Amino acid sequence: MKLDTSGFETSMPTIGFGSSNDMLDGFSTVPSFDLPRTTDFDGFQKEAVQMVKPAKGTTTLAFIFKEGVMVAADSRASMGGYISSQSVKKIIEINPYMLGTMAGGAADCQFWHRNLGIKCRLHELANKRRISVSGASKLLANMLYSYRGMGLSVGTMIAGWDETGPGLYYVDNEGGRLKGDRFSVGSGSPYAYGVLDSGYKFDMTVEEASELARRSIYHATFRDGASGGVASVYHVGPNGWKKLSGDDVGELHYHYYPVPPAIAEQVMEEAAAE
Amino acid sequence: MSIFEYNGSAVVAMVGKNCFAIASDRRLGVQLQTIATDFQRISKIHDRVFIALSGLATDVQTLYQRLVFRHKLYQLREERDMKPETFASLVSAILYEKRFGPYLCQPVIAGLGEDEKPFICTMDSIGAKELAKDFVVSGTASESLYGACEAMYKPDMEAEELFETISQALLSSVDRDCLSGWGGHVYVVTPTEIKERILKGRMD
Repeated sequence: MKLDTSGFETSMPTIGFGSSNDMLDGFSTVPSFDLPRTTDFDGFQKEAVQMVKPAKGTTTLAFIFKEGVMVAADSRASMGGYISSQSVKKIIEINPYMLGTMAGGAADCQFWHRNLGIKCRLHELANKRRISVSGASKLLANMLYSYRGMGLSVGTMIAGWDETGPGLYYVDNEGGRLKGDRFSVGSGSPYAYGVLDSGYKFDMTVEEASELARRSIYHATFRDGASGGVASVYHVGPNGWKKLSGDDVGELHYHYYPVPPAIAEQVMEEAAAE
Repeated sequence: MSIFEYNGSAVVAMVGKNCFAIASDRRLGVQLQTIATDFQRISKIHDRVFIALSGLATDVQTLYQRLVFRHKLYQLREERDMKPETFASLVSAILYEKRFGPYLCQPVIAGLGEDEKPFICTMDSIGAKELAKDFVVSGTASESLYGACEAMYKPDMEAEELFETISQALLSSVDRDCLSGWGGHVYVVTPTEIKERILKGRMD
């Protein structure tokens, strides 16, 4: 049983041959999957959603400033209370000038970002020019809208540099798409927003902006139990993205707040001097 | 998440040669949000008996206050300190009194008994005692702690080696738990001294 997605077909031109070309069938229209043959379709979906249990335990943020877009994220994956990994790549490289962030279901984000990358490349080949950030985010938002209510969990930001300059969009699994200058997504986002909003200026250098991004992620990992691991910071400039740093937040804590030597140690030193 | 995972905790106690060590994490949280990083989970009942409580933080504090009260009464009446085995029975009885509306915590009790023999035990929230010869664990990180202790524990360790072992076991287990960690608190008790140490851990 195939899902009827004719209502959501994009008007994006394909190779120009018309309706169906076997090679492009999987990509030219909204992808559709075979659905299970079951009597209790609604119940099955609910069980599937419960099994995946989407809980956006993460902290990602992105902001636009004078020199481009700064994108940062933590690297922890959690299943309820258990930390399943401290080294997840949450910043996904869609193509050399566009980044996507991952919040929500890892599989969902990875698959749909890669799918978006494919669509962007096809757009380039069809139109002989790069797709804009606005266009790419719209493709993703429309794809996600057609799967509304099916339990996908995707809270992503698409950041890139196109002809109009830096672009940043927030896209989520409800099909929502927002254009903005500053976003943070995930369970640690309130803490990141606090640091980001109070330290933000449009006229920052790349170093100042990366330090602000790193600090925001660090503070979110401190307060939020579901965020942690490594704070990665990427910068998107006119020539594409570049990874700036990946610092372990355990070490960052003692870098920002060093522990003064304990009184006992000082006393022992004095005793030895005598 | 269950009510036992509301505040998050990790507690472990280990037996050594004529000594014991008891350790806990320092986080107090409200589900995923961290509120404090200096929460006291281990309490001294007297110089040779310690209790650490994991579970709901309000019950941890209230139960500790109740137990201190009962022990002080005992001291007045008997003119001596409680033995660790007796104290464990007291805790078990107090928990079972609330069988149908229990304190939502799991205690870990550690003490030095007669002849400097170390004693450890843990209980569930309604007072079922579990005595062990090597180590006991409790809290949201308990499964990781079981694994880490099983791998790192050796019998008859001296105080310094016991401290290293329990610290490594605690830190590596809480690093796999979202709800506990943010430092560690370790007491190593021998017949002659009590050493209290704070551990520097990952603060994420």
